[in-house]
Amino acid sequence: MHRNSGWKRCAGVATLFAALAAAPLAAHSQNVMNILNSLGGGLGSAITGGKPAPAAQGDDLISLLTQSMENIDEAKEIEIGRQLAALLLGAKPAHPDMALQRYVNRLGRWISLQSPRPGLPWTFVVLDDPGYNAFAAPGGYVFVTKGLIDRCADESELAGILAHEITHVTSKHHLQAIRQSAMAGVGTQLLASQIRTSNMAGQLVKDQLLSLFRTVYTKGLSQSDEFEADRSGVAMAAKAGFDPYGLVSVLQQLRTVTPDNPMFTLTMSTHPAAQARLDYLEQSMGRQLDGLGGSRATIAQRLGSGNNAPPAPAARPTPAKKAG
Amino acid sequence: MNWQHRGALAVWLAFAAWTAPVVNAQAQESAVIKRATQLRNAPSDTGASVAPLEANSVVTRSNERQGAWTKVSTQQGATGWVHMFDLGPQTGSANASNNSATSGLRGVGGLFGGNSGATTTATSTVGIRGLGAEDIAKAQPNPAAVGQAEGLRVNADQARQFAQSASLHARDVPAMAQPALPSSGTGNRSGGSSGNPSDPNYSPN
Repeated sequence: MHRNSGWKRCAGVATLFAALAAAPLAAHSQNVMNILNSLGGGLGSAITGGKPAPAAQGDDLISLLTQSMENIDEAKEIEIGRQLAALLLGAKPAHPDMALQRYVNRLGRWISLQSPRPGLPWTFVVLDDPGYNAFAAPGGYVFVTKGLIDRCADESELAGILAHEITHVTSKHHLQAIRQSAMAGVGTQLLASQIRTSNMAGQLVKDQLLSLFRTVYTKGLSQSDEFEADRSGVAMAAKAGFDPYGLVSVLQQLRTVTPDNPMFTLTMSTHPAAQARLDYLEQSMGRQLDGLGGSRATIAQRLGSGNNAPPAPAARPTPAKKAG
Repeated sequence: MNWQHRGALAVWLAFAAWTAPVVNAQAQESAVIKRATQLRNAPSDTGASVAPLEANSVVTRSNERQGAWTKVSTQQGATGWVHMFDLGPQTGSANASNNSATSGLRGVGGLFGGNSGATTTATSTVGIRGLGAEDIAKAQPNPAAVGQAEGLRVNADQARQFAQSASLHARDVPAMAQPALPSSGTGNRSGGSSGNPSDPNYSPN
């Protein structure tokens, strides 16, 4: 596919800096939380449009999000993730190419088996969007845009990207980001006065939750989360049998994306600069993975003409370099 | 999709891929050599030197890649292989996160502005565009679509079957170093001991 030679990666800072800076507000926001809690359960259903949230004994989503991470068990994590997934799929539909969807699910599920949480109900979705982006949501939801897939030179690049997103899930990065936003009162302060006088409280709560969810995708995660996802993602893709340099190759290309390229605006505003990520990966990887080799089949080969998917060309490991 | 078929065509395709690495002719990007090294005639440290590459010299990068190595051409016309980690940004800026273009977007991203302006990220108004902040800001949840996506889940056995037919094998890889985060890496979360790779006690899950 066309590869834009004018790419220039630049960094917006995906951060919850504001949330961190607002930590002293936690006491205030706790009052807001108490008000919200008094409204009772059913917030989950407010978001999902009628389907009752499971096991909501007054622990609606916002109060849940203000609890310690240990109190958010896997079922609740998945329920939160499902609602974020609903938001993303409300922004862009799934791509209609079912063969592509099946392929990405198989590929992603295989990589997830090398992750620390192989038992999650992993769900991979190709969004019908020409832009370049990938997203994750708690509980095992991973999204990539069709434009991203089209720009992957080979499967090892897509594998690196999926492994990066899988790390966001296994390390609960989005869950922590949303929780910190909730704790800091981001998006909830407005509610305090209105909620007492309005019988529209349910709608307001719904709006506030949506605001929390939207913020995590439009502002992105912290830089440290992104660096960790790169480092762990490289290792995970390599464990799954792929050329470990797939993600490095992606970042090499992103480095030259111009900051005003409309296909990349959100990606670039929510991630550290590609060169900073490359520098970090170089420090992490050294040259010790150079001799691993790995599959470098192309996506077109996997999707193959008809259903005949050729086996991956088993890459020749290049002679190992000395570490360092 | 049936991954089991391995007919003659498939073998031919695989062979073709082996001998003809991915080439996208339109990708010819300039890059800068980060540190003095050698242009090599093969994608390996053992490849013979074609020419010395001085730090900060400009090369043109092709789309040909073999593992860590990418094929480049020098301004003197020599062509060979260089390790991707020996390439830097064209601007010569050692840290692209400090360049002006980056700073422009960073402000929008909220680090300095601290606003919740989800609609301010995207700036271009021409041409087709990708999923942007406005799309998410305007989106209403579509739980039915999630249900449909969940219907396409595969289980672990199906994934292993795919891997087998794709000649993908799980393997051990050397442990990677955990360098300190770049100094510009703000936003380490205070909560969650496992979320901070710069923590000496941190271990990836």
